[in-house]
Amino acid sequence: MPEQDLSLNSLEDVLAAMKAASAENREILIRLRDWLTGLIDLELAPEEALERIRPGRDALTRVIDGEATEPQSVLTGAAEAVEQGVQISARLEAEEAQSEGEAAGRGSAPTPDVSAQAVPRPAPPAAAPTAGELMEGFATVLPADSDDELLHEYIAESLDHISASEAALLDLEAQPEDSESLNTVFRAFHTIKGTSGFLGLDLAKEMAHKAETILSRARDGEIRLTGGYADLALESCDVLKEMTQAMDGINPGDALVIPKNYADILARLNDPESSVDTASESSGMTAPAAQIPAVAQAASAVAPAGAAVDSAQNAQAASGAPQPARHAGKASESTIRVSTGRLDSLINMVGELVIAHSMVSQDPEVVSGANPRLAKSVSHSSKIVRELQDLSMALRMVPLKGTFQKMNRLVRDLARKSGKSVQFQTEGEDTEIDRNMVEVLNDPLVHMIRNAVDHGIESTDDRREAGKAEVGSVHLRAYQTAGNVAIELRDDGKGLDREKIIAKAVDRGLISSGESLSDSEAFALVFQPGFSTAEVVTDVSGRGVGMDVVKRSIESLRGRIQVTSKPGEGSVFTLHLPLTMAITDAMFVQVGDERYLIPTVSIEQSFRPGDETLFTVEGRGEVVMLRNEIIPIVRLAHLFGVTGAREELSGGLLIAVEAEGKRCTLMVDDLLGQHQVVIKSLGEGLGEIAGVSGGTILGDGRVGLILDVPGILKMAQAGTTTRSGRAAGAAKAQSEPQETLRSA
Amino acid sequence: MIEEGGNTQSKTPEDLAGKYLTFFLNEEQYAFEILRVREINGLMPVTSLPSSPDFVDGVINLRGKVIPVVDLRTKFDMPRAEADDETCIIVVDVDDVEVGVVVDRVSEVQDFDAAQIEPPPALGQDVETTVILGMGKTDERATILLNIAQILSRGDMKDIQALADGEAA
Repeated sequence: MPEQDLSLNSLEDVLAAMKAASAENREILIRLRDWLTGLIDLELAPEEALERIRPGRDALTRVIDGEATEPQSVLTGAAEAVEQGVQISARLEAEEAQSEGEAAGRGSAPTPDVSAQAVPRPAPPAAAPTAGELMEGFATVLPADSDDELLHEYIAESLDHISASEAALLDLEAQPEDSESLNTVFRAFHTIKGTSGFLGLDLAKEMAHKAETILSRARDGEIRLTGGYADLALESCDVLKEMTQAMDGINPGDALVIPKNYADILARLNDPESSVDTASESSGMTAPAAQIPAVAQAASAVAPAGAAVDSAQNAQAASGAPQPARHAGKASESTIRVSTGRLDSLINMVGELVIAHSMVSQDPEVVSGANPRLAKSVSHSSKIVRELQDLSMALRMVPLKGTFQKMNRLVRDLARKSGKSVQFQTEGEDTEIDRNMVEVLNDPLVHMIRNAVDHGIESTDDRREAGKAEVGSVHLRAYQTAGNVAIELRDDGKGLDREKIIAKAVDRGLISSGESLSDSEAFALVFQPGFSTAEVVTDVSGRGVGMDVVKRSIESLRGRIQVTSKPGEGSVFTLHLPLTMAITDAMFVQVGDERYLIPTVSIEQSFRPGDETLFTVEGRGEVVMLRNEIIPIVRLAHLFGVTGAREELSGGLLIAVEAEGKRCTLMVDDLLGQHQVVIKSLGEGLGEIAGVSGGTILGDGRVGLILDVPGILKMAQAGTTTRSGRAAGAAKAQSEPQETLRSA
Repeated sequence: MIEEGGNTQSKTPEDLAGKYLTFFLNEEQYAFEILRVREINGLMPVTSLPSSPDFVDGVINLRGKVIPVVDLRTKFDMPRAEADDETCIIVVDVDDVEVGVVVDRVSEVQDFDAAQIEPPPALGQDVETTVILGMGKTDERATILLNIAQILSRGDMKDIQALADGEAA
């Protein structure tokens, strides 16, 4: 017997080995005995099972010590004893699982389909336990022996599980029969229950356990997770999420955050039937609880034929398509968590490698081709370095799926709250975007979707009158366009009211009454702070806070927003975003002895002005006439105090830039070409440098400065352009000779 | 640049005893606490920054990271020197912020015990002593122990400090 290969991973393995072992082979027997002793000492099996295993172990010891007269039969007896132990242990486990299932079943009277309303429900328990009683005996502080690392992992993992089950719950509402989604939710809650119990987080464990009870009923086909049940499950997700998020960063022994509605949800989970019903009654909803799937079907019957087919197909596409993808993804991709700090330094190092490598590959020795073998090696490594660079940039990219899923939930809640029926579809969830941008993107999307559902989509009655499908549609789509990511939010609601917007703008003094505006100019007005045309301020929106926030956040991502709208047909908001915050296109310009990078997003055009287009104001302020518009000229050399720059304006090079609706032209000496640059901060030590937004590492390893166009426009407006700029230039000029020496 | 300036007054020679990296500026010997020093580099191309304090030379590329570089000569109103083979950038770490400091020449790592350290001399208003931790004495010469955090703190710090000192006196 090849004893070295004997692997003892479980009690079953040990048992099999015992049965197979010969009494002569002491070595094996000693290993088996030690294994069993370990099991007994550590009490790794239920006590009843251990009671059988112990005599088995003792018999084994006798065989080993040579005390047994008939070793082989004693050994068989020992194996039998252990086998009994194994059986008992298995039985106990099964019983435990069953009793859990029974506990789950007990609360449920015959309620075959709750979403079908008017549920005959069991008499409420004699005395419904109060919140205090429910939570009695639970630790409300983080256990003092909590392991920081474990807790951290728990938080991250649980949040993943919660968002996964949120998404699956929403899918379930549309397709109550989808057992895969149900299993996802079930698994998520089960895992949270297990891990939180392990960490001594009683509150989370109890919540997960109670929710799991409902889920297991759904799994048994007793109830459907729609309407009130779905609400309940989603709300328990929320509570768990809130608790889990609040755990981040607290110390062992600190009080845990208990969400306000914890006890309420727990009580409702205890007795779901009464609460589910009450919830839908008290909210005064006219639509049935299972409105979304039900109405979606109804829509195709009621609406005009063309639209109906279309919306039905869309619905199919929206609810059907993403699912296979998600399930497939789960099976194939395994991931690990890496801290962003490490990731960033990896990306930095790869960037450095690229620069160092380009220095090697451009070395005269290599370029001359005198050494073919060297040239070959260098070109081979070039390929690898390039691939490495692409890969490192891709590391920061995450799909928009998570963000879109959150929106799904938002639409559902908003629709329920406002009593409208809305079909939400997403497309292009796998489009990837820089991780840092995803976080910033969340708020603007929330605002836009709120607006779409609350203002855009009309009430069911209005829609019927207008001859539209009763179910409103909100379509969120992401796609890539030429180096950019576009996110499009389309609704088929009433559209923006051009006249009302203009009237409001005139009212607020934003425009004068006679002004004629193009559609896009008129729609752009909604991004003004405090601008809202909603007649009723609702709980959700209409306070005029929002669209200006949207615009600001999108601009902070160096993106832009576009609105198109047709009255009665709906609106489309399109966000154009750069793929990543880390990279930007920039124009490399020469100004005197210095070179700067101007982000191309801000550049309108560059041109050499003719003498007849140049004017001065009060003898000092220089302006240029460009397409009948008078635009101030900012001499970058003066603004930054750079020496050696061209002085004559005529024949010089001007770059027209625009930011935040203001424009000016920057005077530079030369354009050196367009580059894609990796943006870096200038180092925390410096704070803000006026007119400079960041740096980048140039091909020669030096730092290049990226200009901050909005900042320059502000500096120019504050009057620091020519006069004080010149003074600063003079002061700086004194130290210039040495400076050039240093940088040489 | 850095908000926290580090209190120079409360440090006793015992606190200050330890290893220092000494370097030369204009033939005077200065030193930084060795624990603040991250690395020493030869001079590399510096990109000058517009609208920044005079003593900020610009920024450099430190292995993919952009860090500011200050010129101590300018900070101490000394004439600027021509760069040569010995000119170095000492990268120091002040509260996790890395900053390069241009010096004429790096000398050595020196141990100063408490007996070798004296408080900053009173030199009147013309000499900025708040950036000095103390004076280190050896047989050959005196070394000025610099408070790097104070040097990199905001320029107006010295005015505030002077005011506070004036009131205390």
